[in-house]
Amino acid sequence: MSKAVDSRQFRTIDIDAYDEEAYQDDKSTDVTGSQEHSLQVSERAAQVKQLLNTSKCGDALTLALKDPPIGHLDASVKDQNYQTVMSVLKAFRTTDIDSAINSLSAPEVDVLMKYLYKGFSCSPDKAASLLLWHEKAVKKGGLGSIVRVMVDRKGV
Amino acid sequence: MAAKKEQQLLTGPISGHAYNSDLSQLVVSDTSSTFYIYKKDAKGTFTKDKELKKHIERVKSVDWAPRTNRIVTCSGDRNAYVWNLDLESGEWKPTLVLLRIDRAATFVRWSPAEDRFAVGSGARILSICYYEEEPDWWVSKHIKKPIRSTILCIDWHPNNYLLAVGSCDFKCRVFSSALKELEDKPTTSGWMPKLSKFATLLAEFDTSEGWVHGVKFSPSGDKLAWVSHDSSVNVVEMGRQEKVFRCLVSTLPLTTVLFLSESALVCAGHDNIPSLYNLVGEEVVFGARLDVSKKKEVGGMSAMARFKQLDKTGDKEDDSKLNTTHQNAIVELRATRIQDGKVKQFSSAGQDGKVVMWDVDVLAASIGGLKI
Repeated sequence: MSKAVDSRQFRTIDIDAYDEEAYQDDKSTDVTGSQEHSLQVSERAAQVKQLLNTSKCGDALTLALKDPPIGHLDASVKDQNYQTVMSVLKAFRTTDIDSAINSLSAPEVDVLMKYLYKGFSCSPDKAASLLLWHEKAVKKGGLGSIVRVMVDRKGV
Repeated sequence: MAAKKEQQLLTGPISGHAYNSDLSQLVVSDTSSTFYIYKKDAKGTFTKDKELKKHIERVKSVDWAPRTNRIVTCSGDRNAYVWNLDLESGEWKPTLVLLRIDRAATFVRWSPAEDRFAVGSGARILSICYYEEEPDWWVSKHIKKPIRSTILCIDWHPNNYLLAVGSCDFKCRVFSSALKELEDKPTTSGWMPKLSKFATLLAEFDTSEGWVHGVKFSPSGDKLAWVSHDSSVNVVEMGRQEKVFRCLVSTLPLTTVLFLSESALVCAGHDNIPSLYNLVGEEVVFGARLDVSKKKEVGGMSAMARFKQLDKTGDKEDDSKLNTTHQNAIVELRATRIQDGKVKQFSSAGQDGKVVMWDVDVLAASIGGLKI
């Protein structure tokens, strides 16, 4: 048998990447990656910390979910915002979660869902509390909010 | 009168359905290469009349031109056929349409004047097909740029030369298909501020994060609505194209949309029910579910009867049926009766093989607070 049979190299080629006609997202319209955004995220982290210290959990949540750095090229910026949101979720008492979610608008519930799913994949140790948030968020946002997390190509 | 009349036509999913002018006949396609024509009998139920076999791959979409009485079908075999009824024999005779595409045709619609039809395909090409007398066949002209993925849905504007296209590249677009060959005399409008030739992209909307499953112009053509896979309903007005009104839907994605009037839309999809949405000022708001589920008889069974059934069948209760009329996703909505520019009756076909006729006035009366 020829040598080619042993080589498994070809199985690791991503053939779809060589397809000239494959759909590529138009990245020219992305405004993320700016300095402004990273500044905003750090400022927000500080503000949210302050709110949590004064036990204004509801306000902290709304602020944390505002203007997420979707599709930001700098992963550390996304990470920082993610940590901010997680710290807020952790600060809530189980009984307060319901009223907090009810006061959120539909787009805010969508952002919360995106962070919950990010939490499921990045912080599996927090899964129990995240699942509780998830259950209540689905009650408010419905299956549609989960669908919007699934179709989101840029990621929060 | 009942709010809805349902009929289980097929055992498998329906991929497309269309009615003739007086709603006495219905053409239906499933997942096979054969499609069927049903005739309404004296009792008002549709019975299978003809089976038409010409395609060699599954028929993806059908449309019936009511005035000229022609049917067009398109299929995964990259072809479309126009079917004419031979009055003497009562048989439908197919004519091949040369689409010149190298992927499956996914969607087909006759234009309002029925002198042409548009076929969307997986080849990312929109084919506008019209009849040429001399060679006695249908020819197609392509619109390619800038469509970058499979076309899922098409809708014609009432003026017969503008059309909207929804595709898998997450965008909804409006094109001009004005053809000199067909003696089109386009006029400028909000959609086409300058006279543009065939295949000009007039508008492109990218507010959707998901594939655009269904698109529809309002009865006047001044508004455009589309539903996409990110569970949203989007509406835009011709006069103000920078502002797209978006409604986030709380159910699974919708696949088809229909305007009942200038300010009311019915959408349906993977949630198995038609839902009403209203255009209120600058927003699209959810109106009501149009499929009101009958409440299951709670506590109808006595304890003894329950245990008896548990003993006999091993099941506590028969809950294998969903409490919606359609037992699976709705694939297509068709307006069947229009009065004074408003849709009074529409039909839905689903993946459960059912076709259901919905009466708008009866629904409005039975569901309180409906604004149509």
